[in-house]
Amino acid sequence: MRTLLALAPALLVVLVLWGAGLVGAVRSSLGVSRLTGWSAADLDAYRALADDPVFWESLWFTLRITVIATALSLVVAVALAAVLRRSGVVARLLASVPVPMPHLVAAVLGVLWLGPGGIADRLLGGLPVDLVRDPAGIGIVLVYVYKEAPFLALLVLAAWGPAVAAREEAAAVLGARPLQRLRWVVWPAIRAPLLTGAAVVAAFVIGAFEVPLAIGPTSPQTLSELALSATREASLDGRATASAVLVIASVLAVSVAALAAAGLRRRHE
Amino acid sequence: MSERSRLGRAGALVLIALAALLPPLTLLLRAAADEWRSPALLPQRFGTRGVEEAFADASLAGEAIRNSLVVGVIVTLLALVIAWPAARVIGERRLRRPGPVWVLLGLPLLVPPFATGSGLAEWFIRIGIADTLAGLVVAHLVPVLPYVVLILASGFGPDVRDLEEAASVNGAGPLRRLGLVTLPALAPVLAVAALLGFLVSWSQYGLSLAVGGGVPMLPLLLVRRSPPCSAWSSSPRP
Repeated sequence: MRTLLALAPALLVVLVLWGAGLVGAVRSSLGVSRLTGWSAADLDAYRALADDPVFWESLWFTLRITVIATALSLVVAVALAAVLRRSGVVARLLASVPVPMPHLVAAVLGVLWLGPGGIADRLLGGLPVDLVRDPAGIGIVLVYVYKEAPFLALLVLAAWGPAVAAREEAAAVLGARPLQRLRWVVWPAIRAPLLTGAAVVAAFVIGAFEVPLAIGPTSPQTLSELALSATREASLDGRATASAVLVIASVLAVSVAALAAAGLRRRHE
Repeated sequence: MSERSRLGRAGALVLIALAALLPPLTLLLRAAADEWRSPALLPQRFGTRGVEEAFADASLAGEAIRNSLVVGVIVTLLALVIAWPAARVIGERRLRRPGPVWVLLGLPLLVPPFATGSGLAEWFIRIGIADTLAGLVVAHLVPVLPYVVLILASGFGPDVRDLEEAASVNGAGPLRRLGLVTLPALAPVLAVAALLGFLVSWSQYGLSLAVGGGVPMLPLLLVRRSPPCSAWSSSPRP
């Protein structure tokens, strides 16, 4: 009982505020407003989206960017952690510079470096492909990898401690090659933090729009950008459409996390 | 370790250092450059024009920074106080089934902030705190509070408990115990929780746009006044 009482303030604040936000978004996605009341609820906004090729393109674009950015970040993070775990505090501090950097700042850096006439362009004497405002969204992916790989590497490092190193050594003595050690000794130890981190990253990429807005193409847009431009239409339909897109993005983000959680649990049994 | 793998590691460390330091450095250079035309790798002329332009509308830039600071600090303090009891219970592992608590704290971090924000905006308009600093503080609690609870919880545990018991055996009252034992013991974790909480609020874009688009906040101003895609365009082109 006393435990529940102690939990109450934090959990209630989260539940009430976040719940109100979610209910508000669902409500306006159903076309309910203060004037009409719940009796006016309908699925018009969702139906309109289902018929709109722009929405499907945006959904596909968002998913593609999420999967590629998360997967690349994971690979870079493990490689980064492999180097960092044998290095001192200075290297770890340096590697974590991008972690507290706001995404907007990372995106501005992306434009400075990757844009036409940017630093990479000058260093290499011309870039072979467009990286900023490119329809494939390569610039977005690169900015996310720069931002998220160090974050994931820190999570991996926390789990890749001396105990794992001792087991790796034992495996090496028994004749396991580096890749085998990575697969059978290191991977089971870092799986849980890595998957949890990946779920957080994927959910963020699905929902955020700072980076695509700054460095991404004008078309296709990510789901959140699509919602933003819909709110800028002055009509009530625009609000319902925007909310519907956001509700769909929320469901996607939570599903990704649920998938990761299910994956973690299955292996534990 | 063989000579070759040592070399490889040194190379990797140099790469990490470059990747970490060069990009932020170019941002500083860009801010201090009056002229930086392609293909030069360094600015042709340094000056204060960028800074002057940023603060040309000094009252607006100042107001945005002040608003972001005020909201960030208040949200962080509020979150620390609200999170404290829950963090203690979670950190001391007094919950028999912690699962649901983790889920409840995790969900607000997963759902896009712009979604939560635009939903909250509807209610905020009704109770009259839309486009106010108070509304922004309340909205920012949604992502800040879970982070603060989760980090603060890692500081509580049997060690802190033992110290507190020792203090009360020696006759320290609740207030003295808090001030002389608990807070000092938790100081590092408190600092991390406060820093992260503040940063989450400071760099919040989607949520602020949704519930307080009319209040100048730093991230909003950054996008509106100088869209990042124009990072190069203000320098004179040949």
